[in-house]
Amino acid sequence: MSDSIIGAGPKRIDGQRKVTGAAPYAADHHPDNMAYGYGVFSTIARGTVTGLDLDAARQSPGVIDIFHHDHFPELHRSPSSMAQGNKVEETRLPFEDNQVHYEGQFVALVVADTFENARAAARKVGVSYQRDDNAIANLDQGVKAHGTQKGQGNHERGDAAGNFDGAAHSIDVTYTTPVENHNPMEMHASVASWEGDRLTIFESSQGVVQQRGALSKIFGIPQEHIRVESPFIGSGFGSKLWMWPHAVAVSAAAREIGRPVQLVVPRQQMFTTTGHRPETRQRMRLATDERGRLVSLRHESINTTSFTDQYVETCGSVTKSLYSCPNLLVSHETTRVNRGTPTSMRAPGAAPGLFALESAIDEMALAAGVDPLEFRMNNYATRDESQDLDFSSNHIREATEKAAEKFGWQDRNPEVGSMRDGHEIIGYGMAACNWEAIKRECEARVSLRADGTAYVTCATQDIGTGTYTIIAQTVSELTGLPLEKITVRLGDTSYPKGPISGGSWTTATTLPAIAAATREAIKELKGYATGEKGDFAGVDSDSDSLTFENGQLTHDGQSVDYVDVLKGQKLASADGHAHTQGADDKYSYRSFGAHFVEVRWDPGISNLRVSRVVSAIDVGRVINSMTARNQVEGAIVMGLGMAHFEATEYDARNGRPVNNNYAEYVVPVHADQPPEVDVILLDYPDLAFNEFGARGIGEIGITGMAAAVANAVYHATGKRIRDLPIFKEKLMENVPEVQSA
Amino acid sequence: MSDHHNNEGLGVETFDARSPSRRRFLKTMGASSLAAATAPAWAQIAQAGQQQKEPVEPRDDGAPAEGEQQIQLTVNGVAHTLNVKPNAVLLDVLRDRLMLTGTKKGCDQGQCGACTLLVNDTAINSCLSLAVSHDGDEITTIEGLSQGDELHPVQVAFWAHDAYQCGYCTSGQIMSAVAILNDDNIGSDDASVREAMSGNICRCGAYKNILAAVQDARGKMEGAS
Amino acid sequence: MREFDYARADSPRQAVSTHGRSEQAAYLAGGTTLLDLVKIDIMRPDQVVDINRLDLNQIETLNDGRTRIGALVTNTALARDDRIKNEYAVLSEALLSGATTQLRNKATTAGNVMQRVRCPYFRDGVSSCNKREPGSGCAAIKGHNRSVHAVLGTSEQCIATHPSDMCVAMAAIGATVTVEGPDGQRDIGFLDFHLLPGDTPEREHALKPGELITHVTLDAPLENSRSGYLKLRDRASYQFALASSAVIVTLEGDTITNARVALGGVGTKPWRALEAEKALKGQKIGEASFTHAAGIAFKGATPYAHNAFKIPLGQQAIVRNLTTLTAQEDRRTS
Repeated sequence: MSDSIIGAGPKRIDGQRKVTGAAPYAADHHPDNMAYGYGVFSTIARGTVTGLDLDAARQSPGVIDIFHHDHFPELHRSPSSMAQGNKVEETRLPFEDNQVHYEGQFVALVVADTFENARAAARKVGVSYQRDDNAIANLDQGVKAHGTQKGQGNHERGDAAGNFDGAAHSIDVTYTTPVENHNPMEMHASVASWEGDRLTIFESSQGVVQQRGALSKIFGIPQEHIRVESPFIGSGFGSKLWMWPHAVAVSAAAREIGRPVQLVVPRQQMFTTTGHRPETRQRMRLATDERGRLVSLRHESINTTSFTDQYVETCGSVTKSLYSCPNLLVSHETTRVNRGTPTSMRAPGAAPGLFALESAIDEMALAAGVDPLEFRMNNYATRDESQDLDFSSNHIREATEKAAEKFGWQDRNPEVGSMRDGHEIIGYGMAACNWEAIKRECEARVSLRADGTAYVTCATQDIGTGTYTIIAQTVSELTGLPLEKITVRLGDTSYPKGPISGGSWTTATTLPAIAAATREAIKELKGYATGEKGDFAGVDSDSDSLTFENGQLTHDGQSVDYVDVLKGQKLASADGHAHTQGADDKYSYRSFGAHFVEVRWDPGISNLRVSRVVSAIDVGRVINSMTARNQVEGAIVMGLGMAHFEATEYDARNGRPVNNNYAEYVVPVHADQPPEVDVILLDYPDLAFNEFGARGIGEIGITGMAAAVANAVYHATGKRIRDLPIFKEKLMENVPEVQSA
Repeated sequence: MSDHHNNEGLGVETFDARSPSRRRFLKTMGASSLAAATAPAWAQIAQAGQQQKEPVEPRDDGAPAEGEQQIQLTVNGVAHTLNVKPNAVLLDVLRDRLMLTGTKKGCDQGQCGACTLLVNDTAINSCLSLAVSHDGDEITTIEGLSQGDELHPVQVAFWAHDAYQCGYCTSGQIMSAVAILNDDNIGSDDASVREAMSGNICRCGAYKNILAAVQDARGKMEGAS
Repeated sequence: MREFDYARADSPRQAVSTHGRSEQAAYLAGGTTLLDLVKIDIMRPDQVVDINRLDLNQIETLNDGRTRIGALVTNTALARDDRIKNEYAVLSEALLSGATTQLRNKATTAGNVMQRVRCPYFRDGVSSCNKREPGSGCAAIKGHNRSVHAVLGTSEQCIATHPSDMCVAMAAIGATVTVEGPDGQRDIGFLDFHLLPGDTPEREHALKPGELITHVTLDAPLENSRSGYLKLRDRASYQFALASSAVIVTLEGDTITNARVALGGVGTKPWRALEAEKALKGQKIGEASFTHAAGIAFKGATPYAHNAFKIPLGQQAIVRNLTTLTAQEDRRTS
């Protein structure tokens, strides 16, 4: 397969559109006569809207209408079922009533002729509230006020508690992670147009099919009457998996005023009304025997959820199976706070969960007197003990060894603070990474056209991961057509049903359907060729001796270009449609890897930086080496932000978000990029999972990164930071104590 | 270096999207980069979510209405006479009036760099600019960087190095890169480029590839001069 | 943005007369502060006077050795001016540490002086904020106050930092702000320009209604001085200072003969540390004297719940800056 286009690194087929500004994102659409919406958002976290003063706003230039809880069409809630294909995260509809559950909730929507007129008028809307002073501002307050609810994804085996006391070595530590926000570069945006009772909506969406299903339920109209389009999206990292209230609001507004309406969620409200990674508190209790073998492992987490919905951050999802341990407990609980509903953010569960687990493993190794790398090698599971299944393919030991070697782990002096370079103290840290591999059902259509091109459709999305390109590579692989002859169209519910772009599902879910549809098209072509008017009339179309390669049908030494087959019969195309199924349950399908991180701490100016990262990743086969590497490199940067900078802060007195903008919510910039980032892709095909052996690559790179940084920070400074992010003050000496308010 | 420059038969003269009398930032491309830059026809049809945009025609709004001001904007070499309200933002006027949607809005507060474009050859945040303040200015957006299928060396390099993921910050990154590569005051070493590009956030984290693209384009632009 | 009237001025006099003494009028230069705040409805001018076409773009060396900077000189142009780089390195470095390439291309000298605070409670439009709504209280004092809140110069009414880097360098250098207003032209000493919040945090500067900054004139550089700016923050770029120092020193052998120290990110105004300067004068260079002076600079500092770390961090900014400057022979200026 060395000359295969699968695994090669061709540049993206949509690249030209991206570098010329021609790729159309949601808010780039301007249907004729379009109006603009701008939201008015609650300025309390809990309470009731008692009055709206709209006089000044109504008189503002260009205003068409102002929607709010007393002026909004009656709609229905979506059942919010992923299986039914109508999942939303925030089930409450906008303007459903006058209740306020979080600050930054829609309380009105102004629609005007221009963006600036809509925004100007929105500023003039007066809102009065009855504030409920019992707003729950954070996890601690939630637990204290209302306790917790049980979440899903729990697991227990053996007797973890019974094997903890009296074990040779043990630790009992608690980690916390703050709210983080996805902050994709493109703000959530919708452009909704109605023709009669038919709705077309351009949306920045990671899941057009689910959004169509939800809109169908909410507006009570058939799915066939709704078209959701998302050909390009300015990424989402989970925040655009499920539709948020703005899309409902703008769709309703467009219908009411009889004009298309565009609505972009302002950056400030991207922190409030489009989901976030919730705050977590994770208690880790680990114990080993004399030799440093795990004998007991408990991972008990609580995460914040909203008052309107239950969202569980499954922090212990990886803990169940990454390490071998006969006595294990994973539990998830939630507590309600006055924030918007949380949602999946890149590697949900695993990202905060592996911060805790992989930090705790480091602490456990130290307590047991074992090198952290050796400790992991000794304890990595060889099969999934939580499901009692073999892994389909697991090369975590090789990943760890390869990355360690390239990184130079053997040069690490284990003594804390012992490695220095000028002003800086160097720390080395490592962590494992892990993510589940998921494959769902999928439909796709492929047409081999008489003009010599292929045309491929699937209602999945390319959110920046390279889906357009790997789909074209797949069709090219099976047909021999060059990439430039293959047109791929995604992100449109008028195409066959495809998966959400999330959870690293897309590659493994989509490519088998694309391949199957391609084969169906080839089969149809063979049928034409072997029909009575065909070039191979009389040949059995199913015969192995009739082959299709490089666009040529060949039988018995005679070849015909497929274009000629079609043209000969005046046919436009040979078409294939496929509907492929999800993964079986014969194996535990997971991806693996390891991060090695060098940090540099300058105690003289309290400056911490990540200077070097080496990561080895086992995600099955890599379909496009260039886009795959980019995914992991990007996840490393996001993981670095999680470790080091990112936290959405809320005022403890009233739940008000205080750094909900792109200046004060600190994400990595160019200057934070470590000078050396080296990603090793192991590339072992996981053929038990799918015919391409690919498991998906979007999430895994962020898992473990925060722990690897924290472990390196410990090595440099002797300070074990169990509370993200690792702000400099947590590492500084002589910070004055201040009595909290 | 001359503003327009022929490269001994092999090279091509770069286009000037605006007034040819101005000092041009865009340097001459060599033959090799041209080959890579020439877009195949398929690129025009692949993944179309909508039709290729029509070339932007000069626009003349006529007499301004009450509360509006008439301004002249030369955008990518095309002179427009527009009537705008004082509170209209340059970014919104380009996107919503001239339909030049390649320039993106990422925060609307000068905090992300997605809206970066060139005004009189200088990179600025168009979200923090009143349109009316730019009366008479020459503006270059991402749409004005390439001419037809002929991509600017920075665009070629971004494509070749996968210097993006979602592509939303890409226009701003490219416009910043073009300005930086033509600014002798900004060092050519990696650290200087990283610092100078730090006003363009890429949440996908494609910084490694973006740096590689900028440095590669530098070679292409210098190699041709 | 709400609607406003717009006028473009061709001369300072015309700008001032168009603006008048109205509290509801605003001068527009680079726009990086004004338009940001108008968009989020914190500033609501009914008249915007665009001064971008005024002829205030020069950097001139005056006969007395001072350097006069036009109000509209951009941060980029100022930072890369040879005289500034050579004679006022601290200013060039401070400018380049601020904001981003493209913001510095827009932002002007006068606009930078007029930057407003980044306090989230000021910017959210609803929290108690004495600066925005005098008498309403200060939500920051007992609220979240980590990154853009001060430990020096705070009052019971306001603890927001002045966000500028440029101004910190100017405070160290010494400068005069020239303004033109309805009552004519006048000069304001740089250290008198920004006001401590005290009981009137709504008064941020010494300008009277309608006054327009036309120039900032830097004092002549200290002879044989070396200077530098050190900014500490979370990420490596594009963030306001958590703590920063502007330091200018002159040496004779190993003895400090003169020193100027100003601080950013820690004070409610660009903070000149005069007592620390005194403590440095006549001392031998070295960690002991630097640490001692840094301690003096933060004497009386008031930590709040989340920003107490700025007290040691600000001292580190002073010590490292001094250490680097006094160790480097090639940084000698003029």
